[in-house]
Amino acid sequence: MTLAQTPRNHQVFGIDWPVVRAVVARDLRAIRRSKAVIIPMLLVPFLLLVVLPLLVGIAARRASSPTSTISFLDSLPAALAGPIASLPPDEQLLTLVLGYLLAPLFLIVPLMVSAVLAADAFAGEKERHTMETLLHLPIADRDLFIAKFLTGFLPAVAISWIGFTAFAVVANAVSWGIVDGLIVPNGLWLVVIFWVAPAVATLGLGIMVRVSARSRTTQEANQLGGAVILPLIFLAVGQATGLLLVDLAVAFAAGAAVWMVALFLVWRGASKFTRDRIAGNA
Amino acid sequence: MIAGTPFDGVSPAVDREGEVVITTRDLSRSFDDRVAVDALDLDVHAGEVLALLGPNGAGKTTTVRLLNGVLAPDRGETRVFGMDPNTDGIEVRRRTGVLTETAGLDGRLTARENLEFTARMRGLSKAESRRRVDLQLDRFEMHDMAEYRTAGFSTGQRKRLAMARALLHDPEILFLDEPTSGLDPAATRDVTDLIGSLAREHGRTVLLATHFLGEAGRIADRMAVLDHGRLRAIGRPDDLAAELWNGVPADIDLGGPATSEAIAIVASVEGVMRQEARATGLTISVRDRTTMARVLTALTSTGHAVYGASMRRASMEDVYFALEDSPMESFEQVAR
Repeated sequence: MTLAQTPRNHQVFGIDWPVVRAVVARDLRAIRRSKAVIIPMLLVPFLLLVVLPLLVGIAARRASSPTSTISFLDSLPAALAGPIASLPPDEQLLTLVLGYLLAPLFLIVPLMVSAVLAADAFAGEKERHTMETLLHLPIADRDLFIAKFLTGFLPAVAISWIGFTAFAVVANAVSWGIVDGLIVPNGLWLVVIFWVAPAVATLGLGIMVRVSARSRTTQEANQLGGAVILPLIFLAVGQATGLLLVDLAVAFAAGAAVWMVALFLVWRGASKFTRDRIAGNA
Repeated sequence: MIAGTPFDGVSPAVDREGEVVITTRDLSRSFDDRVAVDALDLDVHAGEVLALLGPNGAGKTTTVRLLNGVLAPDRGETRVFGMDPNTDGIEVRRRTGVLTETAGLDGRLTARENLEFTARMRGLSKAESRRRVDLQLDRFEMHDMAEYRTAGFSTGQRKRLAMARALLHDPEILFLDEPTSGLDPAATRDVTDLIGSLAREHGRTVLLATHFLGEAGRIADRMAVLDHGRLRAIGRPDDLAAELWNGVPADIDLGGPATSEAIAIVASVEGVMRQEARATGLTISVRDRTTMARVLTALTSTGHAVYGASMRRASMEDVYFALEDSPMESFEQVAR
């Protein structure tokens, strides 16, 4: 028996995890060294979760018009407006902006990071001519898909959570002395962080897997997939105008809806992710 | 220079010399309206070097992909070690090594990281991966480049590294897709020497996809000529030349390219089967020596200066271009 014939038995749930880990480790190592991938992946979260809350927080501290906050709160659902309205007037604006209005913007982070990484993991492999080599290795189509999915999902969630921690530090620091206690995390943020953000990351991956299958280069995939950000921009605008401010139950339900769509897209992508299709399209 | 054995004391994989390890019957695959492989019948024996010869688009790469379970056939069947690559792809790929046409190295990773990744994918432990990677880096004389990212490597260096990667796990069958394209003459010789030794000394089966006639003729035990996905001919290089080349090739030195008048004169001589202008005159194919004498007489009697003439054995180049110029039916008998 030669080395090439040596049997392997590392499968759990039918998945060859050492092989999956090897692909994920290689991809993450390569991504860490790619400025074109790493810079937008870190810069956007830094701007959205550190710089923006800092500037908005400073502006909110200086605002001396609690009456406009009160009129804005009147347009919100009672379940959401109640806790804010019960706060002292000088705390209301900071709590509203940092505790609620920025939440949808935060969702851009998992979506963007997963989309960028998925484009690199799928279309990028084709562009670098490394996909062909990968297809000739003894890895099942499903395991390869799982590895590529995790390459996008794990950093997207990790960066979101680390980014949120940074945001929490900035938000609470900038409101120090005015707000009694911590602005974040609150209930809405916890739902967004632990429920909606992973769903949005999955959604980004589900979309980009499909887009990447039709693209030959990372740039092309990013351009086609760039549209995935648009719904979140609308969400942010809606949030700023008070139209979409929701309470916990609605946020949870919205997260569930995103999960369903995301998992459907991923399932569809996985079922079409076959060597034959990839090689035929390469 | 590529030195030593690539197999680190592991005994040669194949003790089944002559056994058929790859079989295809009526193997076909199309992409949209384009037929890439068309009704391919092929038997490859253990320990032989079979060259898949053909121009770009002949179906060589698609054939390799079909044999390794990367593509599924539209029609027909394949067996590699008795397994169907379409359903037992992982097992087949575990026992094969592939050098793709583009080296397929991730330029963001170092030479060592590229090899170690493949070793891990092949199921080798961390320690064993490292040992085998060191062995291959030594063998391909790339140890001093091990920690450099491959983005800066030359084409030759990338090919050598990709070759080292294909051999990491002692594969029993090697699929080599254009292994010498982009290499300088010295590197080409090293690679062809290595391919030859893999089969002769280590019993590996090599399927060599190439459009370089010289390379195929030098190292292949048999050659399969593909054209538009169809097998035009298969056999030992010498046998192919003898069977397919109709007549005796000859070169005539006219001191410059043949004029259309000279070509017409030669063509009118009975027994001349082909004529083709060359930079220094003509290459023709004649039925026999008498025909050659008549050709020379016809040229000199019409005032054409003949500086030299020679008859020779048909080369693989003659055969190849004859195949390209000829209708498929002429060669189907040979292909079978």
